[in-house]
Amino acid sequence: MGWRDAWRLSRAPFTEVSFQAIYAFRQGNLAPPDPARTLVPRARRRTAQSKALVGFVLGLIALGGGVLLRAGPGASSTLAAYALPPAEYDAGVLTGLLSIDVALLWWTGLQVLPTFLASGALPVLETLPIDETTLRRTASIVYLRLFDVPAVVVLVTTPLFVGLALGPFAGVAAVPGAVTAVAFALALSFVTGRFFVRKIQGSRGGGGRTVVRWAHLLLWLVPAVAVLGFVSAGPVFFTVLSRAASGGPPAILEVFEAAYPFPLAMLPSLASSGAHGLSLDAGERAELAVTSAGYFALAVYASRWLLGSVRSVARLPTAVSEPGPPPRYELRPQTPSLAILTKDLRTASRTPGYAFLILLPILDSVAIGLVTLADAPSHAAAQSLGLAAVVAAALLATFFGPAFFSIEVLAYSYGRALPLSNRSVILGKAALIVMIYLLAGLIVLGITLVRVPAPWVFAGFVAAELPAVVAAALLQLGILFRWAQARGVPVPNLYAGAWSALIVALPGLAVASAPLVVYGWLGFVGMAAVSLGELAVCAPLTLRRRGP
Amino acid sequence: MAERPADATVPLSIEDLTVDYGERRAVDGLSLALRPGEIYGLLGSNGAGKSSTIRSVVGLVRPRSGRVRVFGLDTSVDALRAKERIGYVPETSLLYEALTPREFLEFIAGVRRLPAAAASERMRAYALAFRLESELEEPIATLSSGTRQKVLIIAAFLHAPHLLVLDEPLNALDPRSVRIVKDLLVRYAASDGRAVLFSTHTMAVAEELCHRIGILDRGVLRAEGTLDELRGRAAHGDATLEEVFLRLTQEDEGLPAAVALLEGS
Repeated sequence: MGWRDAWRLSRAPFTEVSFQAIYAFRQGNLAPPDPARTLVPRARRRTAQSKALVGFVLGLIALGGGVLLRAGPGASSTLAAYALPPAEYDAGVLTGLLSIDVALLWWTGLQVLPTFLASGALPVLETLPIDETTLRRTASIVYLRLFDVPAVVVLVTTPLFVGLALGPFAGVAAVPGAVTAVAFALALSFVTGRFFVRKIQGSRGGGGRTVVRWAHLLLWLVPAVAVLGFVSAGPVFFTVLSRAASGGPPAILEVFEAAYPFPLAMLPSLASSGAHGLSLDAGERAELAVTSAGYFALAVYASRWLLGSVRSVARLPTAVSEPGPPPRYELRPQTPSLAILTKDLRTASRTPGYAFLILLPILDSVAIGLVTLADAPSHAAAQSLGLAAVVAAALLATFFGPAFFSIEVLAYSYGRALPLSNRSVILGKAALIVMIYLLAGLIVLGITLVRVPAPWVFAGFVAAELPAVVAAALLQLGILFRWAQARGVPVPNLYAGAWSALIVALPGLAVASAPLVVYGWLGFVGMAAVSLGELAVCAPLTLRRRGP
Repeated sequence: MAERPADATVPLSIEDLTVDYGERRAVDGLSLALRPGEIYGLLGSNGAGKSSTIRSVVGLVRPRSGRVRVFGLDTSVDALRAKERIGYVPETSLLYEALTPREFLEFIAGVRRLPAAAASERMRAYALAFRLESELEEPIATLSSGTRQKVLIIAAFLHAPHLLVLDEPLNALDPRSVRIVKDLLVRYAASDGRAVLFSTHTMAVAEELCHRIGILDRGVLRAEGTLDELRGRAAHGDATLEEVFLRLTQEDEGLPAAVALLEGS
């Protein structure tokens, strides 16, 4: 059997992954009260919509990159302040663009991999009389189909917009960067997925293992937050680049030339002429050629390795944890809302997709905090950056509210048989969102304390925004619960339920943003008033006692 | 029609229950009532409506019409209080797979607001009885289906419920655990006005355990009663439950021809 047969065979397992990503029946979700014949087409449609949405975002980012390249270093006063030559500026923008591409594709993989592994879609084929090569190819195609639209968007739009901004040769020179971004993202998704099965999913409970598990997750997730890390660390990056370009220590430029994706991001500048053209001596050219070729070769190797290995992850035995200490028979029951919160944290500690959502705002705060500490030119600027970190944490924590709800899909059919009110579930999940926000705020405050001139202003800002974060969380969760009761659970996972998540996230984001906007005009008093007003409206709406 | 008064001593009453999934009717006008101390078996072929009935009782499925009462509490009005009285074992072992059994039972104890000491003691007793000690700290995702089923059974018993609702509870269990569950059910039903509703398509289990049996066929309750009463209905004085079941559901029709077809294949 050839590739054509493998493609044909991949349709059923890919549909199964889409189906489970939407309905999560294997994880205990219930069928929605719709005619059975509509379920599979809807799963296909929603998966396609979600992939289109991720592709659209990636296309938009590429367009943004193209616009920044076209506008040049004078695009804004902030960028102009770095006084970067056009070629270095172009390389900096492209570095950001490729980093974001890798991170977003990787993130997409994180969202769907647990479903891919749990769907059991590929092992079904293993029992059939199909030759090894076809099974390997089929597994690879199913995996590639999870990323097809977003990957194609990166491969097409990156060279296209670079070409439109810097000329056709620069566009062609951007192709290796786009190809490596896709190859690395897909391979990283796969590697981390395998790591997840081996190290995290099967980790025993108790005895401090939760801490070790979170540490594993943290290590695993740090590269995945490259997108925010890069954006947060952008000022530092441009500063270093500027110093290197203006004759700073050559070692810095060499480090940049060696680190991914900078060498590949420099290629379009090398292919450009005029002000955007990069002038390097022979040695530097050779160095750039070697590092670029090295990364490209690594991407080719990663792709080949990936295509040969996907089948193995589908066949991985269920993780078996190591023998542990004698069992504890002690139960420590908590109140229902706390029990929900603890359950969600424990679930997240063994489910990277959820851990990512919890850790992202916190890691982002750490990144901005460190940048503030290292680079902010003045105390006032440090305070502004600190506040920006809190704003980011508030918006991120709120944005992921629907995803926290989707944890409830796991064993939903069992959970609904328990005497658990909506109010308890909503409060438990809102507590998680608030906890993330407060932790992020405290981290920023802790890191920036030496640079922030008036910590009480900072603390006041965190406190004034808090009711709005609570209100946004309650609003989102309330909408999702009504939705779940009327139409079944809407957001099994973000890979397939991106539209649903977005629709619910937007009103939450609006509520969380309103006090931040008001702060600019009316200061703390206005901010706190709006924030409290929102909570006064949203809390009774969501928490009034209704049926279960 | 005048509404019947709710009787708080009746563990479970189902009145004219109809459940639809889209255009498909799964349960059609089902009525039955459990008596205190009774083990009631719902018997039926695949797709007969057993699980849909049970899901309606525990609040997982919203019926198209009809009423379910648990100790007099209407589940459509007083769902939380009704659920507090129910212990439920689902048909498939769907649990929070990322938790360990101990973490899962801790969650259940929290939701059911159980005192720590009582919950711990019960968990210990059941874990030892089911020989679950070495798996208590393993993630549920790594456990066998039989072990998951044991966890669900412990979860159902953890709060000493007044009504046990079990959907094919013996699936995947090893013989020792099957024996334990059967003994538990018999002793449980005999105490303190409690009752058990369970579905099965294993005739021998129903014959051994149930005080009364309801035979469901394509969503309709074809017959109900003790084994002797059902034999009488089927006009089969010394028949096994299997023979009675096949006759009452008319599934014995064409049986010899089907077997002959397979023999010839």
